[in-house]
This record gives sequence, C-alpha cells and structure tokens, in this order.
Amino acid sequence: MNKKALVTAIVCTLMVLAAYFAWQFVFFEYETNVYTTTAEQLFTIDHLTKLVPLLIIGLLTAIGIVACIAVRNYLMRRDTFRGPFAAWRGTPSTKGHVHGRRVSAFMVVRWVCMVGFFALMVFGGVLLGQRYSWISIPVLSCPANMSQLTEASCYYLAHLEELAGLPLMGIVAFVASTLGFVLVFGRVLCGFVCPMGLAQDVMHKIRQATKVEGIAMTERMYQALVPIRWVMLLLMIGLSFVGGNFCNFCPAIALTPVAAGLSVSLYASGFLMVFVLIASFFKRRLFCTICPLGYLMGLAYRIQPFRIKKDCTACTECGACYEACPMGIKQLYTEREKADVTDISCIMCGECVRCCPEDRALSLTLLGRDIYVSKRLRVVQGYGR
Amino acid sequence: MECVDVAQEQREQRRKQRFATKSMHMTQKYLRRMRDLGGTIEQMEPFFNALERIYVQGLDVERPHHTKTVGTYCVQVPQELIYAAGARPVKLCSGHYTAFSIGDDVVARDACPLVKAIAGFEHMGTLPLYENCSLMVVPITCDCKKRIAGLLRERWPVHPLHVPANREDEDIEHYVEDLYELMHMVSSVTGQAVTYESLANALNLTGRAQYELSRFLRIKRVTPNLLYGTHAMAVMNAASYLEAGVWASAMGALNDELERKARGNELVSRKDLPRIMLTGSPIVFPNLKIPLLVEEAGGMVVADETCMGERGMSDPVVPVDASFDGLMRSLAIRSLRPCPCPTFADNSQRIYRLRQMVRDYRVEGVIYHVLRGCLVYDYEYRLVEEELESMGIPVIRLESDYTDQDVEQLRIRSEAFVETIKLKKGPLKAIRG
Repeated sequence: MNKKALVTAIVCTLMVLAAYFAWQFVFFEYETNVYTTTAEQLFTIDHLTKLVPLLIIGLLTAIGIVACIAVRNYLMRRDTFRGPFAAWRGTPSTKGHVHGRRVSAFMVVRWVCMVGFFALMVFGGVLLGQRYSWISIPVLSCPANMSQLTEASCYYLAHLEELAGLPLMGIVAFVASTLGFVLVFGRVLCGFVCPMGLAQDVMHKIRQATKVEGIAMTERMYQALVPIRWVMLLLMIGLSFVGGNFCNFCPAIALTPVAAGLSVSLYASGFLMVFVLIASFFKRRLFCTICPLGYLMGLAYRIQPFRIKKDCTACTECGACYEACPMGIKQLYTEREKADVTDISCIMCGECVRCCPEDRALSLTLLGRDIYVSKRLRVVQGYGR
Repeated sequence: MECVDVAQEQREQRRKQRFATKSMHMTQKYLRRMRDLGGTIEQMEPFFNALERIYVQGLDVERPHHTKTVGTYCVQVPQELIYAAGARPVKLCSGHYTAFSIGDDVVARDACPLVKAIAGFEHMGTLPLYENCSLMVVPITCDCKKRIAGLLRERWPVHPLHVPANREDEDIEHYVEDLYELMHMVSSVTGQAVTYESLANALNLTGRAQYELSRFLRIKRVTPNLLYGTHAMAVMNAASYLEAGVWASAMGALNDELERKARGNELVSRKDLPRIMLTGSPIVFPNLKIPLLVEEAGGMVVADETCMGERGMSDPVVPVDASFDGLMRSLAIRSLRPCPCPTFADNSQRIYRLRQMVRDYRVEGVIYHVLRGCLVYDYEYRLVEEELESMGIPVIRLESDYTDQDVEQLRIRSEAFVETIKLKKGPLKAIRG
C-alpha cells in the first residue's frame, strides 16, 4: 500500500465515523427545533439573535484562515528553497492592481442570479407569501428551512425510505421536478442558484480582494479528491438505511436555515461549514468538487442543453481556462478534436470563457445558441489607455 | 616588450573599429532596403529609429539614468519580472551578419548562426547593447543556447533558465519556483525588491503593449495589405529595444494611422498579390532578407509565426488569481503553455496554430525558414509540410545563413514560389501581367 492510498483510507474512515456519529458533535443546540418563520419575524431583533450560529461560524472561519496563513508563512520561511521568497509571497497586499479584464454582462447576471436565489432560498416563501413545496429543486439549499420558495431534493435523496412512504402524487412530483431540473439545467444550478456556491464564491472574492495566496490545485490533487466525493455520495444515499442522518453532517444546514432565523440545532455540520468556508477561501469552490448532490446533477451532462463549446483550431493551449476553472477540468485546453468540452463536473460558471484570450475559442451555448463567447479584447481591453 | 603590446593593442583597436564600421554599414543597408519597400507609413519611423539607434548609431537603449539593463534570449523569460525589479529588459537574440562572421571562428562549426552572431558580439565587445548588460538570462531551449550560456558567463553574470520538456501541471509548478529564483536574481542585481505593486504595474505596462498588439493583429487580419509584412516584422523586432510603454504608444499611433488608412482603403499594394506566411527559425533584425526578397518579388508576407515576430508576444498573460503567487503563476503559464517552440517534446499545438493562421490571414503559401544548424525547427518541417499539404497550401523550405552570399539563390527560389502561387490563383491574369 502506498502512502496516498493510506491517507485516503484514513480520511474516508474518519468521514464515515464523523457522519455516523454526527449528532455527538454539538455545534449549537436548541431545545426545540423550529422549521418555519413568518414575515413579521423577519429582520427583527429575534431574527438577529438567531443568527448567532452564523456569527460563530464566521468567527471560527476567520480564525482558521488567519491560523492557516500564519502556519504557511512559518513553514515557507523555514523552507530552504522557498525561504528567500517568503516575504514576497506571505504578506497580503492592498496596493497595486492588475486591470486587464472588463466586467462582462454574463458575470453580472450570474452574481445577480446567485444573490437573488439566495434570498429566495432563505425566506422566499415567506416574503412572497407563497410556497411551491411540490417543486423539488436539486441544490444544497437546506430543506430544513420551510420558509424557502421551493423544496430541495436533497432531503428525500438522503432519506430514501421516507420518500417511499410518501403518497403517490408526492413521489411523482418529487421525481418529475428533480429529474426535470437535472435534465434541463444540470449543474448550471450549482453555478447560478446554489446558496452553498454563493457562500464559497464570496469567500473566493474576499481572498481576491485581500490578495492572499491560495492553493493552486494540480491534476493529481483533484484526483485525490475523487474517493472523498464517492464517500460523500455513499453517505448521502446510504446513511439513513443504517440509522444515521446525513443532515447532521451536511454543511448546508448551517447556512440557509440559520440565515432565515430558524431555531435549528447544528451538529457536525456546523464544524464542517467552517471547514468548507476555510477551504473555499484558499481553493475556489472546493466543496463543489466533492458535493454528492452536484455529482448526481452532472450525470445528465451528455444531454443537457447548456454546453461548453470549443474551437480546437483557435485554441493555443495557453491553459488560462484550466487555471480559472474552479472544477479543474483539464480537457478545456487539452482537447484537440471534439467541439464539445462539457464535462460531468462543469458548473457553467463561465470562468473559462471569461479568461480565454482567443477569439471564439471557447463559448457557452444554450441549444446551440451562443450565450457567452471568448474574446481577446475582453481579456486585454482594460490595459488600453 | 612594451612596444609590442602597444602595437598589438592598436591592431586590436583597428580591428574593432573595422568591425563597428562594417556592422554599421550592414545594418544601414537593410534599413534602407526596408524603407525603399515603399508603402509610406509615417508612424513606422519610431520603430526604424529604435533599430537604427542600436545598430547604426551604436547607442544603448534609451532609458533613465541608473536603470540597469537585463539581456534576455528566447521568449520564455517574462519581461514583467525584469520591469518589476526596476530594470530594463532587452532581447539579445541577434541576426547580425558581421557579428556572425566573427562568431563563426569562435564557436563550433555546426552551431546555428544566431548563436554565432551572439558569440561575435561577445568576442568583439563593441556593441553597448551587450556591453552594458548587468545580467543575462538564457533560457535553455536548445543545445546552442545552453553552450552560449556557458560562453557568455565569461563576461557577464548569466542566469540560465531551465525550460522543461513538458507542460504538465508539475512542470508549471517547477517553473514557478524557477521564476522566483529569477526574480531573486534580478532584484539582487538592481537592488530593488519586487513588490506586489511593482509586479502589478509591470503587468499593466506589458499589458498595454499586449493590447496595442492585439489591435494591430486585428487590423492586419480584417484589412489585408495595409502594410508590408517586412515592416510588421520590424515593428516586432523593435519591441526588443524599446520600453514596453514607449513601444505601446508608438504602436497606438501606428494602429490609429492604419485604421485611418483602412477607412480610406489606402493599401500598400494590389489586393491580389500572393499571400505568404513565414514560419520556422527566428528571423531577427537585420536578417530580414527572406521577407524582403518575398515582398520585392511581388508577394505579401501577411503573417509570420516566428519567435522574434508576432508569435513572441501574441499570447497575453492572463492573471486569474490576484495574489502575488497567482501573478507569478500566470507568468509561468504564459511562458510555457501557449508557446509553440520546438524545445517542448510535444509541440503538436504549433500545427493547430499554423492552421488557424492560414485560416485567419487567408494564406496561400508558406515559406518554412530554417537557419543552417537550427535542428529543432528542421525536425518540425516534415510535420508542418504534411499538414499544409493536406490543406492544399504549397510550402517550401528555405535554408539560409547569416550571410549575403546565398541571397541570389534565395531570390530565385522565393521568386519562383511567388510566381507559382500567382499561376495557381489565375493563370490568365499572370500571363497578361
């Protein structure tokens, strides 16, 4: 057995144990859990006091990040090879700015979508006075929050035996809406709707603003995450059959229900959320690469209408797309024959198209129509004059 | 004893004088030929002047007092790092015939003329461009470059830069570390530390040049025959001796003029001239004989895919991550991944680039230039030939040396090539003249 396999095995075992005994790790406990809120309660003092767990998570995240940076700087300074450059790399900078790229309409739309859906997923049902509970949307917007606009598919996916107990219409509605979303949107939802995605992207933006060095993932590191993703998937589907509850382990429960001002007890998920936020600070959307629900949503990638197209002749293999891709899809730049480079893990965030410096080399299309096309000028225009 | 020494010194002095005069005449001749080509474009002057300043007037690059120059070779050295450390990068790859004739006796017989010319300048020690360098960065891209790094070391501090054979993720990681080393080296020479601010400013500086170049390439693509290909190559060569900001400003003025001419449809030649693309070994000023011969014979060099030409600068740095390390990574990635240099084991991307350029510039014939002794480019000829033949594009291989002696032979071949394409385009037209 080599070292890598051993580490993977240990990590996976720990994950399984932590998930099974998740209720033992108390992060924040209420005596009685309340899963709904009312319009009157929103934005009151009561609502604000309920945000305390989020505050703790934020605080722990900040401490964690600062600790990580300190440890890394210390190690870098002691490293005989990197030592001389530690001063350059370690100190975050506020001065100086590289102004190459223009803001593109696509990115504005994406951020507006993410923020808008976040609001809807937190208290949309209460705000609009109407809930579409028969619609199950497959994103990690925790279904413990009964005040969001729609239902989320993950609850019944994590509790399949409860799904079997539903009335027939309920099962049909669940399957139809979930499948419909998977077939029509797939992982587009990860890039545009998912509140966990927004939280991670915000962490990434904070790092970009403070110019702290991140972790540049290589292909090998992405491969090392694959077994972890399989374990996550196995836990989500199977934990309820052996008497566990995935919801106590899933980090998503620590986001939207808490933000909505509900009294929801957090167990291992609270700690996991801290970990997810720290991780996504250093590596953009790290959780998305191991997200079990995201993997299921990507399964229909061969037939989904949103696609990433490539003009293989125009590509210079500069690898800017791969560097920008939060999911580490390498075929974006290595592919030399196929005109379609949509991948199972692609979340359609458009970063590859944004960074591509060759005219029309990469494009994001819907039913064959271009939505977002790469342009040389977009990449360099900010430098001009 | 003493008078022998003095006599010898005088002899040496005269020899240097002769060398300087001869090399000045040689450069002047090529500048004159380029100007005689016609197609009066006013904004070309800054570029011609920059070339003239270095090789005819024998001056160093224009720069503020106390700014040190760092000589670089090849295209894998990020100029941004040198600007960020407060120094001025100059490209030292040479195309000089007079220096070649000296270097011919200094280095191995089968070495390529580019390296022989560098060795010639090293040996004579008369050109301020070389003499004033505080550091030379030599990427080890081929055997000749490796040896020349050893030779230059005798007179200048040299930093050999290891260029990996592959471009996998691990190679990029190593190259990033190598660039940190280089940064350390340059800033210890200038005594000025690289800060985030200076690196970002350097990126913005070269980014502006990149922006103007992108404009230039676009104008050339959209409206063909706006300027001679030889002139376009002179513009690219001048970038080696001009500060990026100065070059960008000159480029901006040139672009504005070209855009104006495109609107007025003021072309430098008839539209139906054979459209030729140059590729292969580096074509460095003043060794512009091949593009000159082609255009004097009535062809148009519409594109060049050579490393001292458009290719060397055409790929922009794309900073994805805003951290210091992110900027360094973007420099490393830009130096390795899009570079179609045959120093990389797998260089199939060059074929795709050529195909794209054939499409973009509507190329009708390709001249594959091989410098005598430039093995890496000679190896790739077979692949390029096969690919272009499958596209129905005629291609010839022109081997040349840094000397005027093979000019007539090259002239016959390039004229014949241009004529064949003319015939292919429209036999009747060619016969009628």
